Amino acid sequence: MKIGFIGLGAMGRPMALHLQKAGHELFVWARRPESAAGLPATICATPAELGRHCEVIFTVITSSADVEGVALGEHGLIEGMVPGSVLVDCSTIAPDAARTIAAKLLEKGIYFLDAPVSGGAQGAIDATLAIMAGGEAEVLERVRPLLDCLGKRIVHVGPNGAGQVAKACNQMIMVAAIQAVAEAMRLASAAGVDCAKVKAALSGGSAASRVLDVMGERMVTGNYAAGIEARLHHKDFGLVLKAARKSGVAVPLAAVVGQQLNALMAQGWGRDDTASLRRLLEVHC
Amino acid sequence: MKIGFLGLGIMGRPMALNLLKGGHAVTVWARRPESMQPLLDAGAIPAASPAEVARDNELVISMVADAPDVAEVMRGVAQGAAPGLVAVDMSTIAPAAARRIGEELAAAGVDFVDAPVSGGEVGAIAGTLSIMAGGSEAAFARAKPAFECMGKNVVHVGASGAGQVTKAANQIVTGMGVLAVAEAFAFASKNGVDVGKVREALLGGFAYSKILENHGQRMLDRNFKPGFKSWMHEKDLNIVMQTAYELGLCLPGSAATAQMFNAMVGSGLGEEDSIAVLKLLEKLSGQA
Repeated sequence: MKIGFIGLGAMGRPMALHLQKAGHELFVWARRPESAAGLPATICATPAELGRHCEVIFTVITSSADVEGVALGEHGLIEGMVPGSVLVDCSTIAPDAARTIAAKLLEKGIYFLDAPVSGGAQGAIDATLAIMAGGEAEVLERVRPLLDCLGKRIVHVGPNGAGQVAKACNQMIMVAAIQAVAEAMRLASAAGVDCAKVKAALSGGSAASRVLDVMGERMVTGNYAAGIEARLHHKDFGLVLKAARKSGVAVPLAAVVGQQLNALMAQGWGRDDTASLRRLLEVHC
Repeated sequence: MKIGFLGLGIMGRPMALNLLKGGHAVTVWARRPESMQPLLDAGAIPAASPAEVARDNELVISMVADAPDVAEVMRGVAQGAAPGLVAVDMSTIAPAAARRIGEELAAAGVDFVDAPVSGGEVGAIAGTLSIMAGGSEAAFARAKPAFECMGKNVVHVGASGAGQVTKAANQIVTGMGVLAVAEAFAFASKNGVDVGKVREALLGGFAYSKILENHGQRMLDRNFKPGFKSWMHEKDLNIVMQTAYELGLCLPGSAATAQMFNAMVGSGLGEEDSIAVLKLLEKLSGQA
């Protein structure tokens, strides 16, 4: 199949390569052409041109505005994609933005899935991502063989936007858990106890979690190089808190975690790993 | 002075009336023509659009709901303005939005002042609002006679946006202040102590505040009529949190308070006064 791919960063590049290795013909467009260097792919001049060639197109980019620009803007995908083709957006964006893009594309007979992922760069490399999809079930079934090349758990959550809602929930739980691990490590260390031992002990019990394993390890060894850049979680928390406000629900913990992320950004650690929440606690006292 | 006034809601109507009482010639425009009538009865001149208001006046004041509304009426003002016009927005909007609107108006030769107010409907009617202004010294001086008809405590805080920064700071203090008083009352009440007596005792000490005195009394009376509606306080706290997010600023207290107001809007308390946060606390603590 002819597959288009836009967004060749830490996540997108390994994902695109998996599709190519599975025997698909790859077309790419990149804002900075050097990020497409070395890929076994046809490079297109604009998203519209890429759209004309491909049956299914993936986007993995940063913000709602970027996805809207690539999909609906001048020389955007909408100008090239043919009726019946599918845009699969794996970016993390606002549920509302996903719904808007889906509606605009559908006017031209183009299908849209919001399919944000969880699992980080390592999950993208290992093709073990969790994929949470919003859109029509039949459209998901059409592209499922492609998603199977990228991830292990693919769940149809609901209509367009539902995938992004699930991703927002994922981020709420994960970053709150990172904060919890950071505070526990801080407490252990302040009490003069070996953090590595505490982490090892906890890993066998009820507090065991992937965040404790991965982020706890980073905190114990002081390895704050990203990983997942904290500025992306900061961005995601902006989306979470906006969605909570719109729905009129209280998210007291997420609100406080959001403030810790604001402080982390102010320390200049936005491009470091979110495990930096541990370092931030030393700024407190 | 010839003054134009845009937006004649709960706040705008009494503010425009006070300008008339101060002897100024006032031209008015409102989205819904019927809200102009009380002003016309008092001697104001009607206009068909913000552009028309701008054409015929030396000073134009807007008092509308939110940033998009301000931007829209000010676009009209820019179209009708002669160079040298001073435009004043007294709505509560984000500092960044105010600065943007100021820049757009400057391109049309209009000098902009952001001048949000505190004091509510009561202060607007009595002409005792606190007015916190941001803009150039010259523009502030031009608008000052109008401010003095509407408010008592008129402060020129700084450059464009500084008025809205001050208002946001005001909403941090009042939002947390209302929650603090409500929490203290819920605490006393669940401990079986007379809340009225607690208030009376606290009024003499360091915990004294206008909020403890006025809002506290209304909590005792269980008078939840606005006043200042909780959905508006939620909107203002969202300006605070959005600005904190953009600046990388850690405001844990405001964040927790904003969530309480979020919950109020979501549970149908949005139209009640912000002191209804007491009801939410009581519900959470099984006191309702």
